[in-house]
Amino acid sequence: MKALQWRGVNKLAVGEVPDPEIRNRGDIIVKVKQTVTCGSDLHLLGGYIPFMEKGDVLGHEFVGEVVETGADVQRHRIGDRVVVSSFIACGKCWFCSQKEYSLCDNGNTNPAITETLWGQAPGGCFGYSHAMGGNPGSHAEYIRVPFADVGAFTVPDEVTDQRALFASDSASTGWMGADLGGVQPGDVVAVWGAGAVGQMAARAAMLLGADRVMVIDRYDNRLHQVEKHVGAETINYEQTNVALELRDRTGGRGPDVCIEAVGMEAHTPGPQQAYDQVKQQLRLQTDRPSAVREAVHACRKGGSVFVLGVFAGFVDKFPLGALMNKGLTVRGAQMHGQRYIPMLLERMAKGELTTEHLATHVMPLDEAPEGYRIFKEKEDGCVRSVFLP
Amino acid sequence: MRRIPRTVLAGAAVAGGVAAAGFAVRRRASTTGGDPRWHSVTVFRPLDDVGANLPEKLRALEVQLHPAPGDRGTEVRARSAGGEVPDGEVQRVLRESRSLLEVGDVLQPGGPTTTPTPLNKPLRAITRRTRTGGLS
Ligand SMILES: NC(=O)c1ccc[n+]([C@@H]2O[C@H](COP(=O)([O-])OP(=O)(O)OC[C@H]3O[C@@H](n4cnc5c(N)ncnc54)[C@H](O)[C@@H]3O)[C@@H](O)[C@H]2O)c1
Ligand SMILES: [Zn+2]
Ligand SMILES: [Zn+2]
Repeated sequence: MKALQWRGVNKLAVGEVPDPEIRNRGDIIVKVKQTVTCGSDLHLLGGYIPFMEKGDVLGHEFVGEVVETGADVQRHRIGDRVVVSSFIACGKCWFCSQKEYSLCDNGNTNPAITETLWGQAPGGCFGYSHAMGGNPGSHAEYIRVPFADVGAFTVPDEVTDQRALFASDSASTGWMGADLGGVQPGDVVAVWGAGAVGQMAARAAMLLGADRVMVIDRYDNRLHQVEKHVGAETINYEQTNVALELRDRTGGRGPDVCIEAVGMEAHTPGPQQAYDQVKQQLRLQTDRPSAVREAVHACRKGGSVFVLGVFAGFVDKFPLGALMNKGLTVRGAQMHGQRYIPMLLERMAKGELTTEHLATHVMPLDEAPEGYRIFKEKEDGCVRSVFLP
Repeated sequence: MRRIPRTVLAGAAVAGGVAAAGFAVRRRASTTGGDPRWHSVTVFRPLDDVGANLPEKLRALEVQLHPAPGDRGTEVRARSAGGEVPDGEVQRVLRESRSLLEVGDVLQPGGPTTTPTPLNKPLRAITRRTRTGGLS
């Protein structure tokens, strides 16, 4: 079958790979109908997560049709339209019992890598390097989905493919940031990053009852989407001093909840960017954390900061003093999709959560390398490139 | 039949006694230095259940079971008594056993869709043998 493969740093190509097959009794095979780029892929593409092999298939956010089921699969039948959580979880371990699915003990076939890096191994993910299990991704005609009764969800008839697609990863990630970040009715919430993840976090905060939600980025087209489709306020960090603006808009308190949806390749205006970039290139820090720094600094006393952006290793100049003295809670996680997808699909069916606007560029899988290029360069107003295998 | 480690049988019967035995062994291992290392995982199943259903490969090792605090299941410690099984392999047996006990199956890797290159050789050496190794 055809699939989009990583061939080296910043090198992608569509090639032929073997068709996936059922390997465990809980597997299904899904014929991919739509599959989409994610900001996380850019970290792989750029070589910031050094656990890729030439030929790895990318993609972890997708919707499709069940074409084969393993012997133990109960919730799915051939022909079902399903959306699948990007993280793979068994549903039976202690972490799954706590609904912390991305921490699953049995979902990663290569736990030694992350155990060595981080002390403990989180679960596996589709198309997200050998550190996360080396599972072939969804930018392909077919994909094998393990633990399908736990991680695949039938899409209600009222929800289109293009809407359901984003329940897979960006909407569930954004919801998790607002939920585990502790957003309460009446809160003021600030979100760094107006990509699909940041937009979905902002929408979640609003649906959870936040009084004011503000999204920070520098791309006008993305900020415009935030105003039009999410209904949140915006701050362009190239035109405004974010710290002062947030103080001003919160009566000097600072936001109650700060959600970071930028990640390890954050951009900063001014000399700090050069500092972080040089340190990252020299491997003195693996990640550039400027949005996290800003969020910790801006957050109100006793507030909470949730890190949704992906980080892999170490950062420099982390404001530990602000964290400690302001009594902050800082938390992060890879997405617990299984926890949120059924609720998100319901909200999508009711029209409370719309995502189609994120699919700014739709193209055949053959054009995926170009789709990634414009997504990476944020060219032509690209927010997400969607591929049709 | 393979020898069934004493502590497993004791563990199923009197959990408290086993916990005490485990503590004594831990101290001995860290003081003598020469003994094979213990490796542990926590299995989210009750101790009786784990004791009665120990997977085959785990039975070949020296095993201790303790109830985990806070209803987290059972702490399973294992080592190769004679040191003939390498640490990485003991870790793999523990992880696979946990999956068998919790899920009834062990997730198999997908693919392969990759090609060997000089650059990815070290990574392929790690990923070829799934679930082997880790912190030690
Ligand atoms: N936790 C999870 O499970 C999970 C899931 C999906 C994505 N992610 C991560 O979330 C992050 C965002 O994903 P995305 O798909 O929306 O990515 P994206 O690349 O489309 O968007 C990131 C946005 O951040 C903006 N940005 C850069 N520096 C900034 C700064 N200093 N302040 C404010 N905004 C800044 C960029 O302009 C861009 O619009 C990535 O790091 C991705 O890896 C995490
Ligand atoms: Zn993603
Ligand atoms: Zn699990």
